[in-house]
Amino acid sequence: MIPTHWFLILSAILFTIGVCGVLTRKNGITIFMSIELMVNAVNLTFLAYARQFHQVHGLIFVFFVMAIAAAEAAVGLAIFISLFHQRETIDVDEANLMRW
Amino acid sequence: MHFAIFFFFAAVAVIFALVVILHRNPVVGALSLVASFFALAVMYVLLEAPFLAALQVIVYAGAIMVLFLFVIMLLNLKHQVEPATRPIQQFLGYTGSALFGIALVYYLSKYAVTQLPSGPFVADARTVGIKLFEAYIFPFEMVSILLLAAIVGALLLSGRLSGRREVAE
Repeated sequence: MIPTHWFLILSAILFTIGVCGVLTRKNGITIFMSIELMVNAVNLTFLAYARQFHQVHGLIFVFFVMAIAAAEAAVGLAIFISLFHQRETIDVDEANLMRW
Repeated sequence: MHFAIFFFFAAVAVIFALVVILHRNPVVGALSLVASFFALAVMYVLLEAPFLAALQVIVYAGAIMVLFLFVIMLLNLKHQVEPATRPIQQFLGYTGSALFGIALVYYLSKYAVTQLPSGPFVADARTVGIKLFEAYIFPFEMVSILLLAAIVGALLLSGRLSGRREVAE
């Protein structure tokens, strides 16, 4: 049986990669994929602790996180399609209408 | 044996995640993300949650990533070259996230629970389903309403309901 903290460390590495992608990329869809990566890292943490403490609640939370990630992906990609129709780009630096 | 599987698929997940954030072509990024999610599904099986591993493959790798690929291909980004971010942003992004990751791994390996769980705990579909439809029935219905709102919002944002694009042309 594999110790829980190894899963936690793997989850931390994946989350860090996701943070790095959000901070350094300009392509909106790549930023979105980095966010999905972070969501999955958190799911892995939930499952690791669910096994550690023999709780089903962690699994239920992973289920809800997946449903909300699906909703988020649908709305976010619709926003990018709308942005592309108006600006001909999905570079997030070009979406500066609400910038002060 | 379990350890070999764990390390192999952990390496696969991390390498493909790095490809996602480093590669310039978003199609390659999306396909690498699918590979990373498959490796994570193996992790879920190792964590004795086969139902959620199946959900990971079906919902994430099957549905959400196909949505990503469709949008990438619909937008036809081939002629666009993603400009590089400013050097200061690159530097701050990489060093900041590296420091964050090192701190996270350090404190997890120092303070997180290190003893093994006391016994086997297999969370199959039956266990999850009973819990989901007894204790969590209200959040479950809320999520269904949220998904409906997301469908309506996505239709509205892409301009299919209001006919805004025809007016603009």
